[in-house]
Amino acid sequence: MRSPHPLRARPIVIGVAEACLRCVVCCAVETHFCHVQFEEGFDERYTYVYHCLSAPDPASNPGIWLCTACHKCEEACPYETSPLRFIEAAKAEAYKRGLAPRLLTGIIAQITSTGYLFPITPSTMRRRAELGLKPLTTEAAEELRQIALKTGLAEPRGEP
Amino acid sequence: MRRYAFFPGCFIRVRLPHLEALSRRILGELGVKLVDVENFTCCPEAVSLSVDKMSWRVMAARNLSLAEELGLDILTLCNGCLYTLRTVNQELKGDEELRGRVNDALSIIDREFRGLIEVRHFAEILIENLEKLKAHVERPLEGLRIACHTGCHILSPPEIMGFDDPYDPVILDELVEALGAEAVDYDLKTLCCGWTLSTYGSREASERLLASKLNSMRRGGATAIAVICPQCFHQFDVGQASAARRLGVEYRLPVFYYLELLALAMGFSLDEVGYRYHRVRNREVERALEVAG
Repeated sequence: MRSPHPLRARPIVIGVAEACLRCVVCCAVETHFCHVQFEEGFDERYTYVYHCLSAPDPASNPGIWLCTACHKCEEACPYETSPLRFIEAAKAEAYKRGLAPRLLTGIIAQITSTGYLFPITPSTMRRRAELGLKPLTTEAAEELRQIALKTGLAEPRGEP
Repeated sequence: MRRYAFFPGCFIRVRLPHLEALSRRILGELGVKLVDVENFTCCPEAVSLSVDKMSWRVMAARNLSLAEELGLDILTLCNGCLYTLRTVNQELKGDEELRGRVNDALSIIDREFRGLIEVRHFAEILIENLEKLKAHVERPLEGLRIACHTGCHILSPPEIMGFDDPYDPVILDELVEALGAEAVDYDLKTLCCGWTLSTYGSREASERLLASKLNSMRRGGATAIAVICPQCFHQFDVGQASAARRLGVEYRLPVFYYLELLALAMGFSLDEVGYRYHRVRNREVERALEVAG
């Protein structure tokens, strides 16, 4: 049996999808041009935002991970909806269900284990030393690990 | 100017440390006292941590609480760090119930968010002290035509970021012109650099975006690019080199982090600002800078 719509518990977010009239202002007008429109398959008739809002199961739509949270779509929407809130809710649901890309789960593991978004390589340390900068340390990450345990971020997720 | 808790951000600390070294030196010469906070961590990055907003808020509140302990506002070098820290700071200051939940989580590490400080981007400090900045210009960057890319996360949402008009940003242009260079206008000025697309999307799409943006800059007459965000810097530098190679087009638009341009105008050499770490170089631009010197 198919499970209930994953975003049904979020009525405001569902409202975003219902309010969208496909006017395409959010994505296709140059001053608020959505960067994801450069992906294959999107144009002024079929926009990235509409692609996200119209997916039968938004959380399993790989396109949600392309949003950079620039807020341009919500600033542009003449109906004052927030496609960003919809996309972020879909991402949260996807993470809970183990549907997030490995790259993203890797980034989260990287942050909570080192305190940095990027791996600290020998070349990083060498260059910092050349420039007279202090070496990077990872002791503070212990506090992030404790936070992740407290908030549930560290809980195991289903495999994609 | 004054003292700040210095928050360079992961990208600069790990991937672009020459910008950290230069920022310390240049901001110091302008009278900005940067205080190191050893236990600062990733802000954390908003796009990835949007999968768990509460964790995002708690980790950001932890960084804010460290600066609060010192009684210092935070100064950051990164649009993304500004977005996270300023957004969470404002949310928690304005929502007692949310602040209570965040502090409950923070109590596990004996920390508390109290809402005592502000978060600033270096570009805000500079535009507020424009006359002082101009007084430090020893060799104006005349002859340099620069396309300014402000970046997304310092502009939006404007009611929180409050930096510039997201549809028509001009502050970075003002900062560039204060150095004697010419800021050129171009039609895709507000288009994102494509960092997230290059991370989570297809390389082809990211290169199409870069090609459009760089062509637009060239049509505007630009010979170089100015940015105030390390991700944008990386995208226009490494991304441009990669796109040019794959598309067989030479854009030859070197990108400068604004503090590099400021350093050049203050009399530093290209080598001193870390130009050797740049992927995209242009001999004509280098010559123009040498002539300016």
